[in-house]
Amino acid sequence: MVYIVSWDEFVDRSVQLFKADPESTRYVVKYRHCDGKLVLKVTDNKECLKFKTDQAQEARKMEKLNNIFFTLMARGPDVDLSEVNGKEQMETQSVKKGSGRKQ
Amino acid sequence: DDTFLKISIIKIMHRPPNKFSPPGGFRRADHQIPYLLCDSREKKSLQCLRICKEYSSEVLLQLDPFLNELTSMFEKSKEKGSVWVTLKRSSLKSKLQKRKLSSAGESIEYRCLIRATDAKKTISTSVGAKDHQRFQASYATILKAHMTALKKRERKDRKKSTEAEKKQGTSTTTKPKKL
Repeated sequence: MVYIVSWDEFVDRSVQLFKADPESTRYVVKYRHCDGKLVLKVTDNKECLKFKTDQAQEARKMEKLNNIFFTLMARGPDVDLSEVNGKEQMETQSVKKGSGRKQ
Repeated sequence: DDTFLKISIIKIMHRPPNKFSPPGGFRRADHQIPYLLCDSREKKSLQCLRICKEYSSEVLLQLDPFLNELTSMFEKSKEKGSVWVTLKRSSLKSKLQKRKLSSAGESIEYRCLIRATDAKKTISTSVGAKDHQRFQASYATILKAHMTALKKRERKDRKKSTEAEKKQGTSTTTKPKKL
């Protein structure tokens, strides 16, 4: 499996992957307390990006990525991410909101 | 799946026979699931089907019960085991429903589907655009409280300036570049 070494590269490519195919891209987090290992995976069932770590500081970075994905997935792939994370600079686009039936 | 396979059941086994691996690959809980060894008349080969439905049902919960269950999953998995959390964008509608909505000219409302499993059971919930921020705060709190087995940075690294930290790697890990 392809483990990406650079956190920023992982984040950039994951977001890119999601925006290219928001329907089938998923973000998986696996945590093993007994081994103290954290593995992140983003895949669209064609390409797979993975990141693994045993460092607490990476877990803090993962929280930001969680927020990014929650926002992208709940609001839509066109959402402006600069409000989520100051580092992200995306084109400002209108937020997609479903105006249909409620769940 | 709509396709029907004509099979005659040869026997029920508790593990898949050595030659077969179940379709979709092995899952951790597979030893708990019985297998049917079948002779497929159509394909004229042995098929090994896994009885899945009654064992792997996913429970869809409201946000707060989901968070409570997630917490207990983390607590149960402290000595051994893993917890997986999956995030996916979904409208929670079937293909047929989606087709009907789009032909009626209505926009499909998407939500963020969150699944959590410890290989024994699976729970799920979904957040919409309005409630995802409140959820992500609670979710972050749970993760922070339970992901405590990860290694902290050594004290002597913290005393050095951040510039020096970036340049010098620790002996255990390579540090990612910052933008």
